[in-house]
Amino acid sequence: MFKKVLSLILLVSVMVFSVTACKTETKVPTGDVALTLWTQEGESDFALQFVKSLTDAFTAEYPNITFDVVQKDTEVLREDFQTASLAGSAPDLLWTVSDHAGPFVTAGIIQPVDDYFNMKLYVPSVEMNGKTWAVPISSGNHLMLLYNKSLVPTPPADTDEMIAMAKELTKGDQYGLSYNMTEPFWLVPWLGGFGGAVFAEDGLTPTLNTDAMVNTLQFLYDLKYVHKVVPASADYDVTDTLFKEGKAAMIINGDWSLGGYKEVLGDNLGAAALPKVVATGEYPKPYTSGKYFMLPKDLAGDKLAAVIKFIEFATNEANQLKQLETLNRLPGLKSVLSNEAITSDPILAGSSADMANGVPMPTVVEMRCNWDAMKPEMTSVLADEKSAKDAAAAMQAAAEACIMQLE
Amino acid sequence: MLIDPEVMLNSFKEVILTVLIVLAAIAALEGLLYLIFVRWLKLKNAIVIMLISPAVIGLLILQVFPLLWEARLSFTNMSLKHFFNFDFIGLKNYIRVFTEPVLKQVTFFPLLARTILWTAVNIIFHVVGGMCLALLLNREMKLRGLYRMLIIIPWALPQVVAVLAWRGEFNFEYGWINLVLQRIGLTPIPWLTAPVPNFIAMCMVNIWLGIPFMTVIFLGGLQSISGEFYDAAEIDGASKWQSFWNVTLPLMQPIMAPAVILGTVWTFNTFNVSFFINQFELETSDILVTALFRAAFQYNRYGFAAAFAFVIFFILLAYSIFYVKTTKAVEGAEVR
Amino acid sequence: MSKNNPTSVKQADRKEIKVKKESFFHAARGDSKFKRLIIHLILIGYCVLSVYPLLRIFSVSLRPGNRLLSTDLSIIPANATLENFRLVFNQGLLQWIWNSLIITVGTSIVGVIIAATSAYAFSRFKFRGRTPLLIYLLTTQMIPSAMLMVPLYILAINLKMVGTYTGLVFAYAVTSVPFSIWILKGYYDTIPVDLEEAAVIDGCTRLESFWKIILPLSTPALAIAFLFNFSQAWNEYLIARVILGSQESILTWPLGLQRMIGQYLSQWGQYNAGALIVSVPVMLLFLYMSKYMISGLTLGSVKG
Repeated sequence: MFKKVLSLILLVSVMVFSVTACKTETKVPTGDVALTLWTQEGESDFALQFVKSLTDAFTAEYPNITFDVVQKDTEVLREDFQTASLAGSAPDLLWTVSDHAGPFVTAGIIQPVDDYFNMKLYVPSVEMNGKTWAVPISSGNHLMLLYNKSLVPTPPADTDEMIAMAKELTKGDQYGLSYNMTEPFWLVPWLGGFGGAVFAEDGLTPTLNTDAMVNTLQFLYDLKYVHKVVPASADYDVTDTLFKEGKAAMIINGDWSLGGYKEVLGDNLGAAALPKVVATGEYPKPYTSGKYFMLPKDLAGDKLAAVIKFIEFATNEANQLKQLETLNRLPGLKSVLSNEAITSDPILAGSSADMANGVPMPTVVEMRCNWDAMKPEMTSVLADEKSAKDAAAAMQAAAEACIMQLE
Repeated sequence: MLIDPEVMLNSFKEVILTVLIVLAAIAALEGLLYLIFVRWLKLKNAIVIMLISPAVIGLLILQVFPLLWEARLSFTNMSLKHFFNFDFIGLKNYIRVFTEPVLKQVTFFPLLARTILWTAVNIIFHVVGGMCLALLLNREMKLRGLYRMLIIIPWALPQVVAVLAWRGEFNFEYGWINLVLQRIGLTPIPWLTAPVPNFIAMCMVNIWLGIPFMTVIFLGGLQSISGEFYDAAEIDGASKWQSFWNVTLPLMQPIMAPAVILGTVWTFNTFNVSFFINQFELETSDILVTALFRAAFQYNRYGFAAAFAFVIFFILLAYSIFYVKTTKAVEGAEVR
Repeated sequence: MSKNNPTSVKQADRKEIKVKKESFFHAARGDSKFKRLIIHLILIGYCVLSVYPLLRIFSVSLRPGNRLLSTDLSIIPANATLENFRLVFNQGLLQWIWNSLIITVGTSIVGVIIAATSAYAFSRFKFRGRTPLLIYLLTTQMIPSAMLMVPLYILAINLKMVGTYTGLVFAYAVTSVPFSIWILKGYYDTIPVDLEEAAVIDGCTRLESFWKIILPLSTPALAIAFLFNFSQAWNEYLIARVILGSQESILTWPLGLQRMIGQYLSQWGQYNAGALIVSVPVMLLFLYMSKYMISGLTLGSVKG
């Protein structure tokens, strides 16, 4: 009896819920709705200003829906959203990076978006447990080869060519190539190019002790010690400074840096896909991510309806193009990717060619363990303290130990 | 727009209002306590209760409550995977702190040993450096005021600002230290990426930060030593060095002991230096507090991190009881 | 403080004794010229080391194009510009400094008042629970603040204090109370009890004698406690981050400047320009207070 009543209640509530869900897609609430949006966009690249321009424009169209845009640093946003959810006072909408989806899904504090949006219109999004958890706002965040046209007239097509060019250009206090040697984010594209991946098919088991990883580490080691084309110790800031000072002919950096380099180098800035790995004949596979909308678990009713309407507004073609113009970010909406604003711009074209080789960055919480396992070993290989082989084995052991502790 | 007068006024109002409310609340509390304990119960120590209750109540809300919350958490398996549906698992987290790696590979005791090494190295340099500077400054000389002023600067600078400035100087390619090393013909050192140099870099920065405090304290102590002691020592034919050992140090003891012990606690708990100088998250440069921060916020092992925090807390508690026992600092100048 | 108060005489006495003490610098008697030169050289060397990072901050703040690093070792770069200062002011630095300033001053006032009264109880009375309480106060200095972030945030949410200054002022005042109590208690301990007893015989109540005798005599220690409260609140980042959130106009300067540092993209020029500006008031305060520091920081056990 009890079970029957329970299932009846469940059934009714599901029906009511689905009815309201249907309604929300068509109707904008008429009452006053005040939404809190958390974003990790900063002011320095004008992205926060862009977020605010979108919310303001939306409020102009629907005066009953107002926004409180709250900016938080990336890590802070994650911590605070977790804590706020624990206290039952989460914001109404998140505008954040894809790696946050892993912890948020694991903790069960965001909801899937398949029911509210047609995900086929968007570039591949964050998928876990057979559901989609985020709506793409922009795509990219991928590493590419940036070069100074006054030193490198045409970008190298494969790694041999790149090394040969870099050797020629390394002289005096000038380097042929530089990249951030301290972050494994700069290692994974090459790992892909050598035919490897950080996870097995299941997306959860680390596969770091592979031939591909050994070859990748050896390749990075050779760049430094055999070909001697990179600085002895380069991190992000060093690479950035070298390139801006014209002392690095080629660097590897992400799409977020394009705007700043355009300002300094002007027409001398070139962007291209990372060169093909000769050993395998494959292109390096940079991680792609971008910015996403995520919906907190308990969002419902008028607020949910308003949020859906806003997301539709923010990712419509006009606003996606505006984003491209103001932030140089590739769109999250598929139809805009083929827009001529992208195809006719050499830098954006190079960037999107590179992105085509990319793979979505894993967002599961286990990825944190992989990053942390790769980082010190990559450093010790590049400091000539460990062989590529030993390092790969150590990476795998560290990642496995870390995942055990996540419980 | 540089500043909006209206926003300025609003924030000013809010703070003033808060201060007034807090003061009014204290006054109301005192009145209530007075009525209860002095008038009604006629307690002998009523005045003590009145004097300390604002502090006690504030601490109860802002320190004791969070501590109890964390204490409860330390007995649960709360993590991302058990975010809302966590279970109580008894002392398991406490056992794990000692048996399993605290972060990635390092276990508790090596980490503790490293933290103790870090604390010892820093305190030795702080005390010796502070004492040397204080002795040098403790004389009539030109520019004394100026030196004293400049020496305090590392203490006065906001810590994070100072630490980030130092981090720039440790850069392999562009840091001042390596540029100088190269100029005098030595090989540059990878301060930020290699374990030992990074640890040394951390120590250098923290020593730089901590010396001014000790100098100021010791200078105060040296100035309070009456010259007669030295006169006596001189008459006895003591050399400068002997009078330092036999007069200065013993007389400085009461000032040095608490300074050293407090300095030890602060160094043990220094977060900013080891967190920021360790730009590339070398596990070999973590000390207990930074490891705690990473366990809690980067790995979201809430339950484990809470237990870990309490272990650190108990170590320090034992230390502070030791402090109180050795310095007898709790004894006051009692009236009755 | 009235002039006919018996304590003012005593206070004058104390000062005189101090002056006498300060005129003795026995360690220095009979220094040769050469020795003096060496001492000056050492001190100059150390001062350069103290100030150097500050100069580097200055130097980065003058660099155009947002560069943290450079092989250029000169303090004023060749293409120096004040652009970063202009930009950082446009971002709202003055507003942030103003917010920090009023929060810090408010906090320090509340904190010192709470500490001054409690410390008196700890210094002059014996009561049950006194030793454990003092040990507890010391222990609060040892709690890694990262440990309390999550519960504090939950507390702030439940008390509806997120995004308000009220929560922040309260939190700061309480966090610095323990250390202030220790400083003040240590200083009160050095003041002879006879003074108050004399006052009590003259017909003062306990609280009156505290107000009229102990507090005026404790100015140096109160100044130090104020300074500690001030510099702690002025530089604090973690608690502010949790309680204030990030609405632009209410930020304190550490939160504001932190926004200029991104994971990869950082406005180093502006950050350093801002850092330099905010460092100046604290440094001036420290320099001004340094004369008190020497006499006020007895840390709890120097007697007579």
